[in-house]
Amino acid sequence: MSVLAVTNLTKRYHRGGKPFAAVDEVSFDVGPAETLALAGPSGSGKSTIARLVLRLIEPDAGRIDFEGANFLALSGAALRARRARLQMVFQDPLAAFNPRATVARVLDDPLRIHGIAPRSERPHRIAALLERVGLDTGLAARAIHEISGGQRQRVAIARAIATRPSLIVLDEAVSALDVSVRGQILELLLDLQRQERIAYLFISHDLGVIRAVADRVVILDAGRIAESGDARAVIADPQSAVGKALVAAMPKLIRNRP
Amino acid sequence: MTALLSIRDLRIAYRRDGIEVPALKGVSLDMEAGERLAIIGESGSGKSTLALAVAGLLARGSEIDGTINWKIPKSQAPHSFALPSVLPDISPTRGEISSSAAGSPPATPAVGETDRDSSISPQVGEMSGRTEGGAVERQPFHLHDRPLLLGRDIGFVFQDPSSSLDPVMPIGKQIAEVARTHLDLTWREAYAKAKTLLQRVRLPDPDSALHAYPHQLSGGQKQRVAIAAAIAAGPKILIADEATSALDTIVQAEIVALIRRLVSEDGMTLIFISHDIALAASLADRIAVLRRGELIELGETSQIVNAPQQAYTRALLDAHLGLDAEPQLDRQGTSA
Ligand SMILES: Nc1ncnc2c1ncn2[C@@H]1O[C@H](COP(=O)(O)OP(=O)(O)OP(=O)(O)O)[C@@H](O)[C@H]1O
Ligand SMILES: Nc1ncnc2c1ncn2[C@@H]1O[C@H](COP(=O)(O)OP(=O)(O)OP(=O)(O)O)[C@@H](O)[C@H]1O
Ligand SMILES: [Mg+2]
Ligand SMILES: [Mg+2]
Repeated sequence: MSVLAVTNLTKRYHRGGKPFAAVDEVSFDVGPAETLALAGPSGSGKSTIARLVLRLIEPDAGRIDFEGANFLALSGAALRARRARLQMVFQDPLAAFNPRATVARVLDDPLRIHGIAPRSERPHRIAALLERVGLDTGLAARAIHEISGGQRQRVAIARAIATRPSLIVLDEAVSALDVSVRGQILELLLDLQRQERIAYLFISHDLGVIRAVADRVVILDAGRIAESGDARAVIADPQSAVGKALVAAMPKLIRNRP
Repeated sequence: MTALLSIRDLRIAYRRDGIEVPALKGVSLDMEAGERLAIIGESGSGKSTLALAVAGLLARGSEIDGTINWKIPKSQAPHSFALPSVLPDISPTRGEISSSAAGSPPATPAVGETDRDSSISPQVGEMSGRTEGGAVERQPFHLHDRPLLLGRDIGFVFQDPSSSLDPVMPIGKQIAEVARTHLDLTWREAYAKAKTLLQRVRLPDPDSALHAYPHQLSGGQKQRVAIAAAIAAGPKILIADEATSALDTIVQAEIVALIRRLVSEDGMTLIFISHDIALAASLADRIAVLRRGELIELGETSQIVNAPQQAYTRALLDAHLGLDAEPQLDRQGTSA
């Protein structure tokens, strides 16, 4: 059974007075411990799908099933409990946190709110989470605005895994990271997936990254699915016009190896 | 030829609870006008710190030592600027922007006195530097009678696009305001300019986008708006901190082409920070590699890419996830 199943999802906005569908009848599913990537040009609807799945916004039509339950029908305590199982890491780590909060505070919140660990155990848990994402435990006392962009993104990942979710929605989570850290983070994500069977809805404009981490890919264009399939097969030989254009425009590193 | 930007032994430390945390440990670097320099390096290596420092945007309370000197020629060759009206009021008799931090050599035409112990916190666009124990006011980034201006002299695209955009102001107004303030335009002219800029950064439907608020735009659209605002007043220097990291490859290629045009046609100088070494290599004349606050390698792009001297630079090159190489990640789970 799939962790997440999305059926005919539609979200409309207005632009210049006229309605348009930012997400237009989109259907896909994500299995346990699977990574499904959403790719597509800027403005194609990727983040809107992420927000819909997280119920940060409500769809105009369609259905979302999460862990076998009709997610759109949940409310109150049932929704809160289910949300611990569905975490997110966004493009823009500064906006996700109060910049004055310390790293320890950011990691303490989910442990406390979802009753993951008693108070006495939390400092130890926080240190373990930091180590897990490759950060020095000394960072715990720092304010969020006092660490680098890449360090912040690792804190965001540490927070997402704190509640042992079954699905993490990652929206451009590694786009701002340098290659060495990005490689480590991707390894970490894969490692977590294997050990804890976490599924990822992995949004990225970077096909090189998608090819390295995703099992399957869905390519969106103007709110609709242009094509989907095995990630490496689709990227090696895209069939849709938009898929072809995205692949053709990849920056290439031309090296004359000695 | 004298350098446009000359950085000598720049040391920057952030202060936290009385403890100094070094972010740059003695960086020296020269840039010529019209040059395209890329800065690469791992997370936390000091790339953003360096970019903020040269733009005079470091947060107050950071410790700066060493010198940063800008020398902007008072008259540009007429052909080198497509938009001469962009620089209306650099005083003809004073053509030098210079800045000097503590410990600058006497030859540096610093404004204010050098004072070994003082820390400076340059704030572009603000007239006052920090005053230390009754010492002279410091205006480290200064064109004699005015500070180096963000927007007019330097366009800065921040790593986090939402931090450069005002969430409650329509984006057309935000861009128009930059153009109006620095180019002496009417609102109507400034809005027309804003629309042209939105077209240049390839935003779909610029007419309605003018009235959109940042939250109504996608991540890549916001990033393009931040780029449009940064170039609105035709600055001579563009500093782009991970400015294309949220863009798909198609738009990214268009933005890179736009930046190339701005450099070649408008004579703009570029400092381009990116974790994407392939992108950096496609755009830059030279690449600087930062590691843990130190400049470990600096060279022509082809030298850095084909004959890196440092093992660290080689590791960065090898970690590039292209479509040609076998991904190095272990997806099959043998390590459990
Ligand atoms: N609140 C909103 N009001 C109006 N239009 C919106 C709103 N949110 C998103 N849009 C529009 O919906 C479309 C899809 O946006 P979305 O953020 O999902 O794109 P994306 O695929 O994530 O793009 P990117 O790669 O640039 O982040 C865009 O054209 C955007 O301008
Ligand atoms: N305002 C601040 N206060 C205290 N320390 C800071 C501050 N900003 C950055 N630092 C620290 O200074 C070092 C350099 O940070 P900087 O943001 O320059 O790195 P970067 O190379 O831009 O990294 P990234 O690729 O992650 O954006 C890091 O160790 C960071 O934690
Ligand atoms: Mg998005
Ligand atoms: Mg940075």
